[in-house]
Amino acid sequence: MLRAICRSGGSGAGALRRDERMIDAVDGFSGSGRLREALVGVAAGDRGAFETVYRLTSAKLFGVCLRILTKRSDAEDVLQETYTAIWHKAALYDPERASAIAWLVMIARNKAIDRMRADANDRHAGPIELAADIGDAAGQPAVATEADDERRGLDRCLGELEPRQRGLIRTAFFEGVTYENLAARGGVPLGTVKSWIRRGLIKLKACLER
Amino acid sequence: MSGPGSDHPTPDRSVLAAEYVLGVLNAAQRREAEARIARDRAFAAEVAAWQAHFAPLADEIEPVEPPMYAWPRLSSALFAKPARSGLWESLRFWRGFAIGAGALAAAAIAAVFVLPRQPPAPTPAAPMVAAINLDDGKPAFLAAIDTERGTMLLLPVTVAIPAERVAELWLIPPNDKPHSLGVVDVAKPMSIAIPIALRGAVGVQAAVAISVEPLGGSPTGQPTGPVIAKGGITSL
Repeated sequence: MLRAICRSGGSGAGALRRDERMIDAVDGFSGSGRLREALVGVAAGDRGAFETVYRLTSAKLFGVCLRILTKRSDAEDVLQETYTAIWHKAALYDPERASAIAWLVMIARNKAIDRMRADANDRHAGPIELAADIGDAAGQPAVATEADDERRGLDRCLGELEPRQRGLIRTAFFEGVTYENLAARGGVPLGTVKSWIRRGLIKLKACLER
Repeated sequence: MSGPGSDHPTPDRSVLAAEYVLGVLNAAQRREAEARIARDRAFAAEVAAWQAHFAPLADEIEPVEPPMYAWPRLSSALFAKPARSGLWESLRFWRGFAIGAGALAAAAIAAVFVLPRQPPAPTPAAPMVAAINLDDGKPAFLAAIDTERGTMLLLPVTVAIPAERVAELWLIPPNDKPHSLGVVDVAKPMSIAIPIALRGAVGVQAAVAISVEPLGGSPTGQPTGPVIAKGGITSL
């Protein structure tokens, strides 16, 4: 499916095809190599490649924006800002440091979080359940992607945290909310929430680097 | 580290990097962190490491299809061409469309183009047309203006509007704000009466545009949704 979409949007640099096959073989995942190729095309100013990147990733990035901003019109605006930044900054993408989709998600998250802060209008107001069963990553089936090792490592290390630390860290990542928001929604003093999350992050780092 | 309730000490480099990536910092702290990324390589490396650590969490975020007009809106903002380019192509398309279209459209076009040329007309005004193009150059609508009758015939070509939204047509005279010509049908040709006050503004310097609006049209009298298509008026 992904491969078919990429093919139909094919406008990338032909010279990259052989490298791409090698990347595919290494990744075992055809989409990532094609997305990377398209991103290289965008860096060179190829509009067709830009459209390919958009078609491969816009639903994911819109999901990211919507999860943080919750309001569709805001998410639509930030999606536009995100792809505008991708068009202008694709040359800064470094395949050595991040997968293409991780880099694109990072841009979308940063733009969405900045928009939420600028509006000072945080719509995430529901209570945060700090009980053990919330935000338990152990139940999540691992999706087969090239990031499997990273995913397993993160799942394992999040699983070693106290449930409330895990729940807060996951909520913060998905919603992009501030310490203040988490404290208010959790009914916990600000200092306590900071302390829980920071200790969770230190423990997480130690585990991930083991 | 500090216990619950006690003062929280300044976090170390790695924790601050993680807080930035996680998104828990406020606006001022985010700007500080970004300034530090720019000047402190070790901090930038910590940020990159945390981005990689947390990246798999994004797999759990459900994709949501953006609205159909998001792409035309984006590429029009990035790659917008001068209003008159692609005109010949559009006119060819227009003629092809006129030949192939159904009886209603053909008859309507004949009325616009043929009737004004009939002999009795003392000074036949040149018919004016507009291709109201998506940013990719494809026409969303084609418009033919009968200046004598003060009507505009509007033919939808390739246009999609999300559910619960409508398309609104705007006339934009030179150096002026958009004036609404009303909500338009995206599925069949329609004839629009141009308000008398605006008839003088219809000319080759003016442009027409389509915006996406809530049901019932723009509540403000100005476009409130994205402009998905636009084009300059030209004389045949």
